[in-house]
Amino acid sequence: MSITNLLENWSDFRQQHPSDERPHREYKWAMSIDLDSCTGCNACSVACYAENNLPVVGKEKFAHGHSHHWIRIERYWDNDGREFADQGAQFLPMLCQHCESAPCETVCPVGATNHTADGLNSQVYNRCVGSRYCNANCPYKARYFNWYDYPTTDNVWPEPMNQQLNPDVTVRGKGVMEKCTFCVQRLTVAKSNARSAGRSVLDGEVQTACQQVCPTGAISFGNLVDPLAKVGKQWMTQQVELNKDKQAKDAEEKAVKLRGYRILEELRTYPSVMYLEQLRESAI
Amino acid sequence: MIENSFNRRGFLKVLGWGGATVALSGCGNTSVEDGKEFVTSYVQTADYIIPSIGTYFNSTCAQCDAGCGIMGRVREGRVLKLEGNPKSSINNGKMCGLGQAGVQAHYNPDRIREPLLRNGDKGEAITWEKALGLINEKVGGVKAENIAFLTGGVSGHVKALLKNYLDALGSGHHYVYEAVAPSIMRAANKKAYGIEMPRLRLDKAKVIVSFGADFLGAWISPVHFSQQYARFRKADNGERGVLVQVESKMTLTGANADRWLAIRPGTEGILALGLINALAAAGLSVPGDVAAVVKEYTTDRVSKDTGVSTEHIGRLAALLKERSPSLVIAGSAAEGYAHGSQNATAIALLNQVLGNVGKTVEAPSSVPFPQMAPATGNRLALQSLNDNVAQDKVKVLFTYGVNPVFTAPASMKLKENLKKVPFKVVFAHYMDETALEADLVLPLNSALEDWATAMPEYVAEGAQLNIQQPLMEKLYPGTLGMGDILLALLKQRRPDEYKGYEDFYSYLRSAMVSNKGALGGLATDDDTFWDATLSHGVVKLAGTPVNMSGSPSAKGLVVPGPFAEDSAYPFHLIPAVSASLRDGRNANEPWLQESPDPLTTIVWDSWVEMHPKTAAKLGIVEGDIVEVASRSGAIKAQAYVFTGIHPDVISVPLGNGHEALGRYAKGIGVNAFKILDSVFDKETGELAMHETRVKVSKAGQRVVIVKDEGPAGGNQMGRKIAVRMSSNKVNLSGEV
Amino acid sequence: MGKDIREDIAWAQINKDVLKSLESPRRMYWVILFIAIAMIGVAVGSEVYQYQTGMGVSNKNNSHVWGLYIATFIFWIGMSHSGTLLSAILHLMHADWRKPIYRFAEAMTTFSLMTAGLFVLVHLGRLWMVYYVMPYPNERWVWPNFQSPLVWDMFAIATYLSSSVLFLYVGMIPDLAICRDNIHAGWRKKLYTVMSLGWEGTDRQWRNFRITYLTIACFLIPLAVSVHSIVASDFAMSNMPGWHVTSFPPYFVAGALYSGCAAIITLFIILRYVFKFEEYMTLPIMKKLVRLTFAIAMVWTYLNLIEFASVWYGHDQTAKDQLIFKATGPYAPFFWAMIFFGSILPLMLAFKRFQTHLPILFIVSILLNVGMWLERWMIIAPSFAHGHYPWTWDHDQWPSLVQWGIVFGSFGWFTLLFMVFCKVFPSVSMYEVKEMVYHRSLALKHKPAVKGDY
Repeated sequence: MSITNLLENWSDFRQQHPSDERPHREYKWAMSIDLDSCTGCNACSVACYAENNLPVVGKEKFAHGHSHHWIRIERYWDNDGREFADQGAQFLPMLCQHCESAPCETVCPVGATNHTADGLNSQVYNRCVGSRYCNANCPYKARYFNWYDYPTTDNVWPEPMNQQLNPDVTVRGKGVMEKCTFCVQRLTVAKSNARSAGRSVLDGEVQTACQQVCPTGAISFGNLVDPLAKVGKQWMTQQVELNKDKQAKDAEEKAVKLRGYRILEELRTYPSVMYLEQLRESAI
Repeated sequence: MIENSFNRRGFLKVLGWGGATVALSGCGNTSVEDGKEFVTSYVQTADYIIPSIGTYFNSTCAQCDAGCGIMGRVREGRVLKLEGNPKSSINNGKMCGLGQAGVQAHYNPDRIREPLLRNGDKGEAITWEKALGLINEKVGGVKAENIAFLTGGVSGHVKALLKNYLDALGSGHHYVYEAVAPSIMRAANKKAYGIEMPRLRLDKAKVIVSFGADFLGAWISPVHFSQQYARFRKADNGERGVLVQVESKMTLTGANADRWLAIRPGTEGILALGLINALAAAGLSVPGDVAAVVKEYTTDRVSKDTGVSTEHIGRLAALLKERSPSLVIAGSAAEGYAHGSQNATAIALLNQVLGNVGKTVEAPSSVPFPQMAPATGNRLALQSLNDNVAQDKVKVLFTYGVNPVFTAPASMKLKENLKKVPFKVVFAHYMDETALEADLVLPLNSALEDWATAMPEYVAEGAQLNIQQPLMEKLYPGTLGMGDILLALLKQRRPDEYKGYEDFYSYLRSAMVSNKGALGGLATDDDTFWDATLSHGVVKLAGTPVNMSGSPSAKGLVVPGPFAEDSAYPFHLIPAVSASLRDGRNANEPWLQESPDPLTTIVWDSWVEMHPKTAAKLGIVEGDIVEVASRSGAIKAQAYVFTGIHPDVISVPLGNGHEALGRYAKGIGVNAFKILDSVFDKETGELAMHETRVKVSKAGQRVVIVKDEGPAGGNQMGRKIAVRMSSNKVNLSGEV
Repeated sequence: MGKDIREDIAWAQINKDVLKSLESPRRMYWVILFIAIAMIGVAVGSEVYQYQTGMGVSNKNNSHVWGLYIATFIFWIGMSHSGTLLSAILHLMHADWRKPIYRFAEAMTTFSLMTAGLFVLVHLGRLWMVYYVMPYPNERWVWPNFQSPLVWDMFAIATYLSSSVLFLYVGMIPDLAICRDNIHAGWRKKLYTVMSLGWEGTDRQWRNFRITYLTIACFLIPLAVSVHSIVASDFAMSNMPGWHVTSFPPYFVAGALYSGCAAIITLFIILRYVFKFEEYMTLPIMKKLVRLTFAIAMVWTYLNLIEFASVWYGHDQTAKDQLIFKATGPYAPFFWAMIFFGSILPLMLAFKRFQTHLPILFIVSILLNVGMWLERWMIIAPSFAHGHYPWTWDHDQWPSLVQWGIVFGSFGWFTLLFMVFCKVFPSVSMYEVKEMVYHRSLALKHKPAVKGDY
């Protein structure tokens, strides 16, 4: 980026709200998570550890809040003072929401976290200086900092456990921020294969590790631009629009409701993850 | 994924020449850090192996007994990640967290690397030759009836070889022990339906009433049931199934229920009979003898006995009446009592009365090769072995796939009794509690470097033989597969029969190929059949559905009333089986330790769950170290207070509290197995896991519990984060 | 009310008194210097440990990503503001009473900025990559993110630091010439000779000097305001509840002036006592300073209340929750201590009897700064503890000794710089005090019978 380029195309480099005037042309990776199917089993989280070389920090560091779970299962109770949690729990897999107008991106002093052309919120480890401003500004607290140098920490990857490390994913050293990447290493391979074949990535051709493992299929992932993609159809039927911070469907009270919503949408982050509300039977 | 037409053996040979150093040298094919450089030649490799691109090989998950098919991603001679095998009807390409952690069992730094012979308090490394010779000498020196094999659930060719070896020795003492198994339910099912393990069709049910069966977490085949559950919740026609969970301590399944009913421990059978009565009153046709038995179980009485409100009993009966077919499942919570069989029978009766048999309770398929059918285990087996050991009837004991010293209640005195056995051989991956007691420890290949076949007890469709094949070269030259060891032992006894097999691989291949007709490979030549078998990872077997017999009958069914108060030991102890740690054999896999418990979000420790009412009564707050004492012993752990448990119940998770098993498990938490009382189910003689009564007292200290949940607990503080709505407000059929 | 300064002090006496402060230090000086260096040692040790092991040893975590470092960073930036206030603003307003005390206030500005800058470095996870925040030409044309308030910070602080150093130095040139002329040999002679840039006190030199000094002063005032506004933007531009407040920039500037004034009172008393500057740092000057501090304290209090009130009236339940949390949660003792030290305690300064009572002022001024430090910490810690996302709230994470060690050491670093400065450079502006005495005598000549304040 030369200075002239920087000055002339400043408005393109600036972070902006997503809008219909500047649509994603080829890819816009997005997810939807059905909370009525999610059982809270944690398989997605473990799969993420396996795929993305997440360090196991151990009890002491976990106690200090140094854990690395790019996708974490939150468990909420809705007792309203009743004696028992008699409608069960509410489980919520929380991962980086890959916001279209990501609060983390504007504040990074060095531009280590960026938006990619296919709608990912990317993290460039080599560029990160570790100011942690991105985490401070992330309303979902889905970013995880390398508080220690895990590759050299005892019992994180002792011989021969280091042989399990995925060579497609960087093993992060101390002092950099990291977070869910939507398994960008898989996306890159799929895109490159599709490009060689002269087409774009088909729906279902690439899966994130969490989606792949999920026993109830609660997670869908795909290209929102692709009209055949399941995830796009889900967003469409749920009337959740990526580029809106208030959904039209929420304005009116209808007898039959739609389940789709995005978390903390009112902060105008335009998340790329849509959740489908959990359901509970009223007859029992 | 490579479909077929490659030679698995050839691939391993390539690795042996070019890649073995890679597999052994650490990470990557070049390692300049420590001054060594390995240059790997890919010149001779198979054409599907492309450096830097992962190749997938199918195998079978050995993390639990469900037998899910897995697909290992192999790159540069190392297995990196396990995915589900889409060809396996059990898991259809999906997996659980426990299965994912299988690579950590394989790469675990605490694996035993060579045979160890006891020398005083130490293990001395010896050669395999010497070890096998020693076994031959020892088994030759005692009477055949004094030799015992204690194993976990085994199936497939290893089971067949094991049986042959026992036959060769002239002894039939094979104890199959599972610390956590639905063995009482199997017996009750056998009685009610004529089969132990019927096929459950959650996806066909409109209502599921589960009496403590944690089918989404740790019960039988959770990945399979989870998939069915997804279809149950979101059927193609948009009808959403209703799940009601009845239990005294919330399981993962309970946490997903539309209604979670906290029931007084042990009264599950009463509720089942009460529901039959209510259904009969509502007009459901119930056989005369059943009606006569259940008639005294009026809703008021049942409500008083079970603590479930009359309103909920009424609504549940109405729901069951209205929506058919339904499915009623008896889980470990219902069967864990001295009257567990009666509870399970009463619950099976409810299923029969509701007409679910044949609809949501289906007949399984027969198994064409009975010698490979799974030998399912129970706790009675350990009890009988222990009795025999105590009476000096066991001179040589082999232990494989179980860790009885860890899982046996202290009251059994197993560890002390084992000292009476002169020669104990333990086949193990790690130095666990049982291996520490052994005279000879034989290190096994990990499941990802070993050949085997497995036939799971619960198969979704038809019958199925799972193939377990090595995904990479052995990490340590000093380990051997169980099949190879058994083959070597058999060669000592029956050399003529087995000398033709160079190793277990050649035995397995020839055994499979010679039966290829029955294994679906009639029309193909041997090599094609074998390659296809390996590339699929599963072999579908032709089985016919077995007959389900039995009509609803309440003959001989007596369900005792609720427990009497016990002022000395006022609480019931529920040893909870978690989805990740199960009976503790996987406690040394750090991903599982760091994966928060779904309900409490606690990591790396044990805890004592109690209801806020109970805690208030005892003056306990979260993080207090409490002592849980039964008549058989006491443990101390941190208290966790939440509303997913009955006030009469204290629950401690199983799996932690190891005194051995390596760096990730040793010294973490407490072992609740130890304090279980010796109370047995009256019909089957099984150890009644939920029967232990305890008292709880503060031990003085207080700690900050290490968990993922923050100070807000499960409260969303009015923010719209996880949202829930009533199911009658949505139209699921309109969804994608 | 006495006079700001006696009109009959001989100019030679002024030179003599001030130059005396540069003479060989007493034993106590060395003791304190040693303590300061020991404090720095603690900080260096802590930083080396943190650098080697990782930021985790500071007990920050994924909820509390910032801690004492940023709080103390704002504190030191704040401290730097009153130097500018006293020298630049009051200079433009021709307030003569600033003259005896502005020099050390300016030094304080420079040194606290130098301290604050270190916290930015200490805070970074990858200190060795800090140059990434600078827009340097490189072969890949990778620039920093100009939208980030941290980049603005980098520019603002760098500019402010260089300007302050320049301002301090330019203002010192005539005095350096006096030093040069009164010392006959040694390294000091060489230092002063070089630094006084050949000052001879000619008419032309004085004229140019005045213009230069005035220009820098004018330049510095908006800069000072902008620096703390930009630091406030680090917070106000984010979406953290409790930070996302429009009134943050003025609130930060007021807080900065407040803590700076309080620090000047503290140093005033110390210098007056140690260097026996009773003739120059007089009680009437102190009185003015205290009144100024009082006024700023009230401005700060007002802005603080505005912040609370805007949260209270606003529709942002999250911010409201957080304010209640600050006042009632585990941080409540610190929150109320901040209110007490920041808003209640300065009410004392309204009473005349305390305005010149040096021992009390000494203690109060330190406590005011404790309050201001708490203010900064109350912006950081409780906000992280209780943000948007309840699942990740963390009320139990307290800074580790590593963080405290570095904060502790920063005071040693500041002390060291200041003490070295006092012995190398005149901490009272000789030429301006002479000017003041001259003004005073002129005034007396023209208005002989004026009573009370000049």
